[in-house]
Amino acid sequence: MPKSKFLPRGRKDRTAVLVDIRPTKSAKACDIFLQVRPGKDFELITILRALIKDQKVSEEAVAETGVSLEQCNDLVDRMKKAKFGCMFFGMGLSMTRGKHMNSAALLTLATEMNAFTKFVAMPMRGHGNVTGADVVMRWQTGYPFGITFNRGYPRYNPGEFSTVDVLVRGDTDAAFIIGADPGATMPQPAIDHLARIPTIVLDPHITHTSKLSRVHITTSVAGISAPGTAYRMDEIPLPLKPALKSPYPTDEEVVRRIKDAIAKKRFWMPEGEQMITAQI
Amino acid sequence: MTLTVVNNATCTFCGCVCDDIELHADEIKIHKAKKACVLGTAWFLNHTAERKYPDALIDGKEATLDEAIEAAATYLHEADMPLVYGMSNTTCEAQRECVALADLLGGLLDSHTSL
Ligand code: SF4
Repeated sequence: MPKSKFLPRGRKDRTAVLVDIRPTKSAKACDIFLQVRPGKDFELITILRALIKDQKVSEEAVAETGVSLEQCNDLVDRMKKAKFGCMFFGMGLSMTRGKHMNSAALLTLATEMNAFTKFVAMPMRGHGNVTGADVVMRWQTGYPFGITFNRGYPRYNPGEFSTVDVLVRGDTDAAFIIGADPGATMPQPAIDHLARIPTIVLDPHITHTSKLSRVHITTSVAGISAPGTAYRMDEIPLPLKPALKSPYPTDEEVVRRIKDAIAKKRFWMPEGEQMITAQI
Repeated sequence: MTLTVVNNATCTFCGCVCDDIELHADEIKIHKAKKACVLGTAWFLNHTAERKYPDALIDGKEATLDEAIEAAATYLHEADMPLVYGMSNTTCEAQRECVALADLLGGLLDSHTSL
């Protein structure tokens, strides 16, 4: 871990706390490990929110989370004493009982910690440029994901407009998939629905999703044979420097061509036109 | 054979997006990815510039790019509730086009973040 002006001893100047349902390899790399009971994340976060404000919490409520009151108090103490705290969270929080309400609770905790010291929260990212997708959608629509344009303007509601839910309910009647392979990662009812409806895939490889799709278009690989920009997890944009030349077109070019082909057809609403026109 | 060296190349395999990778490549493949981690090295070395797959497939059969674009446009245009999803392994420039596409379609727009 880097040494810096304010943290001259690098890792030794930092405290890492891991919260998980079981001790993993990361637990050894951390200073403190808190084992939370599966599905009790929301409760634990809410207890922490109460404790930072010196509210009373009942022993039973704390005991249910699998973490002791002593551990909670110690954590709150350390958080308040920290000069700069960062909470990283992943799918273990956002995809278990409570889902996006868990993420919302954690973000609220981070917000409330700022009454005492500087605190931020950051989602842990898997593949590639997911952060870029958040940033671009926020820039263009005001929302980071789970968006619909079905009234002609963007609206946001995870759970209602998020992909897994839409697919499992069987709402959507066509899917355009780019830079992802839901056919390999999503729950089976969602995959079944993708196979039922016309699915279009843009990918450098023939993926699981390509195999159940009506249309697959091979594109070049971002960062290897396609130029562009990618966002780092902490929202720093970085230019890509492709080392190879691909025989395939880039994602950008193909999406633009599909969009242009659709623009030639009749607009879906009786009146009006596309809100976000080409940006430069 | 001389290899082209790309300095400070960016790896997009994981969210860290390291931007200090040194790539040694010929026309077809990358031979060395200095400073990349195990995952990053595997990612760089596994991709080639060969034509491994057909340009496009429609219903599992080989098709040209133009045909596939027209088919995609027709399917999406005919749908009442089209979904634009994914956008993780791609560039911001392509993501921007995706937002415009969803807007033009009056459809849904979502990324991996919702998972
Ligand atoms: S080099 Fe490794 S750590 Fe860095 S972005 Fe690539 S996969 Fe991630």
